[in-house]
Amino acid sequence: MARIEILSHEDDGRAHQIEQALKRRGLAASVRVIDVYTSENPKAQSPEFVGSLTNPVTQSILPSPRKRGSSGESEKVPDQVGDELFEFNWALEIGYLPGVTDNVGHTAAELLGLTSRHSGEGRNLPDQKQEDPGLHRDDDEDVYSARLYLIKGDVSKDDVENLANELSNSLIQRSSIKSRDDFAKDGGMETVIPKVTLDNKGTAADDVNLDISDEELQIIGKDGITNEDGSRRGPLGLSLHYLKAIQDYFAKEGRAAKDIELETLAQTWSEHCKHTIFASPIDEIKDGIYKHYIKRATQEIRKKRGKEDICVSVFSDNAGGIIFDDNWLITDKVETHNSPSALDPFGGSITGIVGVNRDCVGFGMGAKPVINRYGFCLADPRTKPEYYRDKAKTNAVLSPETIMNGVVRGVEVGGNCSGIPTPQGFVYFDDRFVGKPLVFVGTIGLIPREINGKPGHEKCAQPGDKIVMVGGRVGRDGIHGATFSSVALDEGSPATAVQIGDPITQKKFSDAIVKEIRDKGWYSAITDNGAGGLSSSVGEMGEQSGGFHVELDQVPLKYPGMAPWEIWISESQERMTLAVPPENTDKLIAFLAKRGAEATVIGTFTDTGRAHITWQGETVMDIDMDFLHDGLPETPLTSTYTPGGAAEPNILCFPRESGDLESLKKDPRFHGEDSFLDTALLNMLSRPNICSKEFISTQYDHNVQGSAVLGPLQGPGRVYADASVTKPVLNSPKGVVLSQGLAPRYSDIDTGAMATAALDMAVRNAVTAGVDFHHLAILDNFCWCSSDEPERLGQLKRAAEAIYELSVLYETPFISGKDSMFNDFKGYDTDGAAVKISVPPTLLVSSIGVIPKVEQSISLAPKAPGDLVYLLGDTKDELGASEYYDMHGHLGQNVPEIDGARNLELYKLYSQAARQNLIASALSVGLGGLGVALAKKAIAGKMGLNIDLSSLCHPETPKTLKDLDSSAQALQNDNKKLPADKLLFSESLGRILVTVTPQNQQEFEKQFGDFAHTIGQTTNDNKLNINNILEENIKVIEEAYKAPLKDY
Amino acid sequence: MSAKVLVLSGYGLNCEEETLFAFEHVGLKGSIRHINDLIDNPGELDDTQILVVPGGFSYGDDTGSGNAFAQKMKLSLWDSLREFVSRDTLMLGICNGCQILTNLGLVPALEGNYGERIVAVTHNLTARYQCRWVDLKVGPSNSPWLAGVESMHIPVAHGEGRFMMEQATLDAIQDQIALQYIKPSKNCFPRENGGLEDPRLRGESIEWESANGEFPYNPNGSADDIAGITDSSGRVLALMPHPERGMFTWQRDDYDRLKDKAQREGSTLPEESDGMALFKNAAEYFEVAKRKIA
Repeated sequence: MARIEILSHEDDGRAHQIEQALKRRGLAASVRVIDVYTSENPKAQSPEFVGSLTNPVTQSILPSPRKRGSSGESEKVPDQVGDELFEFNWALEIGYLPGVTDNVGHTAAELLGLTSRHSGEGRNLPDQKQEDPGLHRDDDEDVYSARLYLIKGDVSKDDVENLANELSNSLIQRSSIKSRDDFAKDGGMETVIPKVTLDNKGTAADDVNLDISDEELQIIGKDGITNEDGSRRGPLGLSLHYLKAIQDYFAKEGRAAKDIELETLAQTWSEHCKHTIFASPIDEIKDGIYKHYIKRATQEIRKKRGKEDICVSVFSDNAGGIIFDDNWLITDKVETHNSPSALDPFGGSITGIVGVNRDCVGFGMGAKPVINRYGFCLADPRTKPEYYRDKAKTNAVLSPETIMNGVVRGVEVGGNCSGIPTPQGFVYFDDRFVGKPLVFVGTIGLIPREINGKPGHEKCAQPGDKIVMVGGRVGRDGIHGATFSSVALDEGSPATAVQIGDPITQKKFSDAIVKEIRDKGWYSAITDNGAGGLSSSVGEMGEQSGGFHVELDQVPLKYPGMAPWEIWISESQERMTLAVPPENTDKLIAFLAKRGAEATVIGTFTDTGRAHITWQGETVMDIDMDFLHDGLPETPLTSTYTPGGAAEPNILCFPRESGDLESLKKDPRFHGEDSFLDTALLNMLSRPNICSKEFISTQYDHNVQGSAVLGPLQGPGRVYADASVTKPVLNSPKGVVLSQGLAPRYSDIDTGAMATAALDMAVRNAVTAGVDFHHLAILDNFCWCSSDEPERLGQLKRAAEAIYELSVLYETPFISGKDSMFNDFKGYDTDGAAVKISVPPTLLVSSIGVIPKVEQSISLAPKAPGDLVYLLGDTKDELGASEYYDMHGHLGQNVPEIDGARNLELYKLYSQAARQNLIASALSVGLGGLGVALAKKAIAGKMGLNIDLSSLCHPETPKTLKDLDSSAQALQNDNKKLPADKLLFSESLGRILVTVTPQNQQEFEKQFGDFAHTIGQTTNDNKLNINNILEENIKVIEEAYKAPLKDY
Repeated sequence: MSAKVLVLSGYGLNCEEETLFAFEHVGLKGSIRHINDLIDNPGELDDTQILVVPGGFSYGDDTGSGNAFAQKMKLSLWDSLREFVSRDTLMLGICNGCQILTNLGLVPALEGNYGERIVAVTHNLTARYQCRWVDLKVGPSNSPWLAGVESMHIPVAHGEGRFMMEQATLDAIQDQIALQYIKPSKNCFPRENGGLEDPRLRGESIEWESANGEFPYNPNGSADDIAGITDSSGRVLALMPHPERGMFTWQRDDYDRLKDKAQREGSTLPEESDGMALFKNAAEYFEVAKRKIA
């Protein structure tokens, strides 16, 4: 066994990061980083291999092996590494548990193969000299990585344990801690070889007797099939209703079911794969929510558009596709990866982003990923709530900070390593995301409209085509991932559902497929291996040909001993399934090998109508294809609906320069500094949902591929933007405009308002950036909770109905979508009392559109002093569930309502004006309202604003309590003017804040008519001045906006 | 005369397409070549004039950025690479390519001593990936890649961009420093605390000074603010920033302002931006006339 230790120099940025983590806890310490590699392969001791892992300028190889033993002085740690180093107090080592993806170890294993071969000791591969050394490697060539931290300073063992918890996740990693004395006595840390050894070698498929009582059937559904030792295999997530249908089927077949057959049906029929709630009849809607609202909206829009239809492939493939230009389609897909991200935030989010990249590669004949986007719904990382998954309080829910850091890093590593720019995203905070964060990941693809004379978006597996699995090998990773994400998270959530993505393995085959093989015409169809693994991908493609035959023993495994059902449903990442005519398989496999990617024939697509699988020659599955895909019985749903909301609050907030401050201060509603409008604005800017998320944007490569036009941070003041513009075809003048919209808190009053707000924001943000309004499509991601409750289903129906109406009105078709229906956390609080925390019903709408020329794009930053400031659209008394009310602890009632017809007219006008370059800068007014939008503009442009809202405000100069109360009265009398605080913080939809150069004033005002409210000018000074309301230095505003999350 | 460009790909390199696009834009002809194909047929280097290792994440940065890819090239291609640099050729390593060339010892290659690894490009001091625009001045190197260039505004995007070396090495490579990070001189922003607009927006130029290690101007803590170095001939250039992401004006982070200004003035915005200079210089080195591509 080899253990290699490579010490990094003192000034290592990674060490400083740990030092800072300790410093945040008030601990002064210095840290050294040692990269550790272990292997059972004797060749791993070779100087060539060890040298290949080491940078001689910054690293040194520690002597190995250290002497081990129990007697006295000779075990002193060798002093070649310097005495100073060994003044450390604690050693902390973190490595992976067996079976967890170890990307660094994998690369080291490739280096081991390379160095062995070139030093003449390796295996002889005369005919395949450029075959990847990582392929077909023997098990003993595996190399495992770990990291050892030597910590010097006044820190206790508890402190080190806390640090270990911060740096690692016990679900996937091991950590060990030694004091300096123990380290010296033991001769260092142990050599750990985290090799997987399974005891069920040679298992075949088991029979499962279904001729049992309903109670017993239900137990199988909830806890899984029984193993020989009486333990259960984990949830099938099948309801009794479904299990009865399966019972009937096998009774008819006259035999017991095999375990693999049950597992396959559970995968295929899972909520995750079949979207049963969206598909089921609900109340009077017999065709279900999806067909009745979402799909119908798109059908109606396409019909109305006729020849001007932009849709090419909708709802039928891994992603949706629309026209980009005469030569190209753009595709889009947004996924969620919520449950895994709650357990392992990094693994969950990297698997999510790399997985949705595959949805892109699996679109049509294979689209090239050109843009990634993200969205995280999280609990505030600065809070420290305590919840547990178990009553005994041993299994704590990860802290909001740990979850945020993990999910942010997952998308970073996944996206950056894959060379896909990530210019657009959002983070939304609400305490109810504490146990179940929502992690949205999306990928936009580019594919020729025609490939080899055929439409690029069409594919069909043919009978006789070979089933070829490409990419990573299969392990136990992610078993029951699909069924698991369809149930609420609780104590029993299986740890095997956690995986870590490997973007480089994927990059090797996805580049080979999309950039080289696709246009050779070697395959008939391609799809992604996602949830459900082979059972889903082969099952779906088998629908095209009419059946399949798989020889499961041909599937390459990460380690021996897996049972057939495990191989079939494993969700090991980085795999695609291709349908390849037999004459092309050899050259396809050989080509992929030259690109460092493994591909294997595992069966044949047929037209027998059967889903047929053998294991070592014996049939282990033989199900009717129709039953597999359409055998699940209908489950009619019923719903109820109760409107939410609370009384409108009466908040006192007034200008600092008020006339009779003293009497205002005596009012019972006065609550200190927060009652001044200037402070209120600063506090609003610091709210987590409003403040800058620049720390994410700078970690995400947003200009790789050279395509970035408008990025995530805009203006010299770097304001976090809602929309991006990208030029995926470098020599085309056109660009892709992306944005997103969501408003989860609005659901507390009305899910219909929540849904329309999300859609309006997503559309309006894209319009604001300059998209052609007629070349704009949307995607829906419903993340609901407790969807087995009629009230939640009623909320769902209301939301779907609302976006049906608005999307048809806007003529923005849905092209793809995904739903996740059980985002509930069930656990225990610090008192051991059972709690259920459900996320607010959330709809994310993502928009994707085309701008005819990128020079027509409009950024949010004002460009020059002296420009005119206009507010387009109307501000109403709509602060229900707003950021402002929430800041004051109120919910209210007046949630923003959509005036779709008026917005439609505005967006059309704006889209025209963008073609004429009439607008110098524009920002869609979102959370926090006009006040926040004005502040963001000033920050972005590093420019003053002189604003006068008297035409919209009542009273014009609120100086006394009487003034303020009269404004409330005026509101009741249907006066369209608002009190100052409501005017600043109302979240009314359909509004855009723009600046216009004076030379365009006349034309602009003529075109926009009564939509345009003149409210001021940009200035050459350093103040945001809103006459009679507030005046604030821009530096102060900028600090309020940027400080809250800047240290993450 | 024509010159042939090879841009490498494979194992997680990912900027090959836009990098080749840059060379084609200035009239050069070239191809993307997977590293395994080049190892199969190293003779292709014999009729290649410009070899480019583009940006990316080869091997996911595992075992150190650029390390594993450099090991692969060293073990499989070293003689051909050595032969290539001995001819009158150009070689460019951008970002991950820079890390690879450094690990291969193709830079700084003091006194033509290729193959010795004496400079490291390692983890940013922030221990964070940094994607941001930087300003650079051209150092004392006489690299043909940078002929006639004084400064550049182009982006960086890396987690490991910090040049580190022993002091003696740093002293020895002073004439091979190609690019260094700079920052605006404080006295250009007399009212900076007032959050005022950039003088450049008013068409005024500003003064620059050494970034002096200050984040974010020096985004990684690099010694001597180094962003790029050459070999002793100057023909091999390794730089962390991405010229291909700042070769057109529409790619710039201040494109929205430049575009707006041009519209107000009724002027036409130049199509090309700072990064294009490198590619033009390569074409000029081989006397290739610019050919406008569609």
